[in-house]
Amino acid sequence: MVYGWLNERLDLDRFKKKYLTKVFPVHSTYFFGEIALFSFVILALTGIYLLFSYTPSSRLIDVGGKKIPVAYHSILLINSQPLGVIIRYVHHWAAHIMIAALILHMMRVYFSGTFKKPREVNWLVGMVLFTLAILAGFTGYSLPFDVLSSVATGIGYQIANSIPYVGSAIAKFFFAGKFPAPGSIPRLYMYHVVLIPLLLIATIGLHMLIMVKQKHSQPYQNKDIAKSGKILGIPLYPQQISLMLFVFFFTLSVLFFLASFLPVHNVEYFGPPTLQTPMVKPDWYLLWIYGIIKLIPGNWVIPLGSSASISPEVIGGIILPGVIMTIIALVPFMYKEKEPLNYWEPASLRPVGTSAGVAFIVMFIALSITGYQAELDIPIAACRVYTIVLPIIAFFITYLIIRKKREV
Amino acid sequence: MSERKIKDFNKTRRKILKGMLGIAGVGALGSMIVPFGTIKSVSGKKVRQKITKGDKLVYAVGPNAGKEIKASNLSIGKGTLAFPKGKEEHNNLILLFRAKENEFGKPTKINFTNKGFCAYSAICTHMGCTVEWYPEKQFSFDFPHIFCPCHQSVFDVFHGAKVLAGPAPRPLPQLPLMISDGVIAAAGDFDGPIGPQPGGK
Ligand code: HEM
Ligand code: FES
Repeated sequence: MVYGWLNERLDLDRFKKKYLTKVFPVHSTYFFGEIALFSFVILALTGIYLLFSYTPSSRLIDVGGKKIPVAYHSILLINSQPLGVIIRYVHHWAAHIMIAALILHMMRVYFSGTFKKPREVNWLVGMVLFTLAILAGFTGYSLPFDVLSSVATGIGYQIANSIPYVGSAIAKFFFAGKFPAPGSIPRLYMYHVVLIPLLLIATIGLHMLIMVKQKHSQPYQNKDIAKSGKILGIPLYPQQISLMLFVFFFTLSVLFFLASFLPVHNVEYFGPPTLQTPMVKPDWYLLWIYGIIKLIPGNWVIPLGSSASISPEVIGGIILPGVIMTIIALVPFMYKEKEPLNYWEPASLRPVGTSAGVAFIVMFIALSITGYQAELDIPIAACRVYTIVLPIIAFFITYLIIRKKREV
Repeated sequence: MSERKIKDFNKTRRKILKGMLGIAGVGALGSMIVPFGTIKSVSGKKVRQKITKGDKLVYAVGPNAGKEIKASNLSIGKGTLAFPKGKEEHNNLILLFRAKENEFGKPTKINFTNKGFCAYSAICTHMGCTVEWYPEKQFSFDFPHIFCPCHQSVFDVFHGAKVLAGPAPRPLPQLPLMISDGVIAAAGDFDGPIGPQPGGK
């Protein structure tokens, strides 16, 4: 009845015919993007819950004779609510899962060659999404303002601050003064709950629009169908929606499972900021940058005149990660295609690209292990060697495997 | 007017309108961006209070925080975080320790030490974390050293806090010490810039 009433006014039938019948190709790796999307939805929902109690301020207040920051105190308050801790942990786990899903999603796109013409634009939009997701993680990490937050965010400040000439101004603007200035937490909070989510929503929207406009790329076995411009798959309603709901609830239940059994960022354990610094490690998706920072020798200083120089912090914390991200962003432009590619090209048709991709993954893992170099007692010289050698070995092994496979 | 003239006229008119639209757009966008440039940092510009001769050292952490450090409080091999009394700000954080007098060598400024007491800035020159005193073996270092937990820089306590391992670019600045009435005090300010320097200098 309601449907009929609305249909007369909004022409819902047309909408149904046009959009609900949209065809989706089926392959399990399509779910990586969806998992990232659903994690984002869960982040927004749990984030709203946290906003009800969180207070963004590093001002000290007296609680039972101890001086603790207001933000830290408000997190303790959240933890004391019946569902507080679990929702905090779901929020934090969802951030991990979103970034992990993004990385898998990028790998899927990379190894299936679907970043090629005509999807170069969406690859770039994807890189923006990835960067925003990492920024969201970094700013979110600072908010509890326990000792881990303050040290980790302070290091972020120092990396920005070490950029020659403009660094100090940039760092002061981004962190509202020398971190932890009174304005720092409110500003990081604004980034985390307003600016970055809005940018993420806009960018995800663009990503989806482009995807719908260009249609999905399809698994290799649908090659001929894809060439004719058609898609083999299931309609959005009811089949694809059911699958998506399944993925959504599956993601949600995995998150609650993780949150129940594996605490993340347990503020009570770490305590409020102190003068002493604990052994801090960044979250796993930044561990590779941490590894690079550890690898760069302290005497790698490029002087730029009397008042500035390019210090190892800039080389390790900004230049090298920047170069790596730029190379990834430019991947689609390393191929010259005449025809648009609408199906998944076998990875073995791009031997160099595929081998480089494997080498890159190996390097990512090697750098992350270097993050734990001191704990594992690996000499730093050995780290320097394996960080270079292992990816090269990985490259050639992959290359040889592809060559061998092609010969048969 | 002829057909042709009207067409040309329309073309120019469109061009002018487009140009004006462009200018208006750029102006509107610019006026939205400019205010961001006027945002002020909330923190006031605070300069570090210099440490001067006679500033007594007090414990910075622990149950005795705020109490003066007597020479008799620290036995050989012990170290602690300290502040100059009355100037307790982060950049003045000091790592004070005691060793045997004959253990020091250059580039430690021997005249800065006093009866085996020696003090360095506790702010890591790499990214500003607080360094720690490790009297015992840790990882592959089996002698007393100063250690930074952030990226595991190791400083040689007996040789001017020079960097033995890790990414720290400079040694920790040293603080001259004296002992007055059995209490450890500073005999002047640090001998170098504290912590990481903006612009990589
Ligand atoms: C919040 C972040 C992101 C969300 C929510 C998201 C979501 C999605 C979804 C649902 C799809 C369609 C299904 C699929 O192929 O999995 C898709 C396609 C795509 N994504 Fe993402 N994505 C994100 C980030 C990224 C990143 C970081 C990249 C790469 C750098 C990327 C590149 C692409 C490309 C090129 C396509 C089209 C591929 C094709 O149709 O085969 N995306 N994205
Ligand atoms: S801050 Fe001390 S080693 Fe990086």
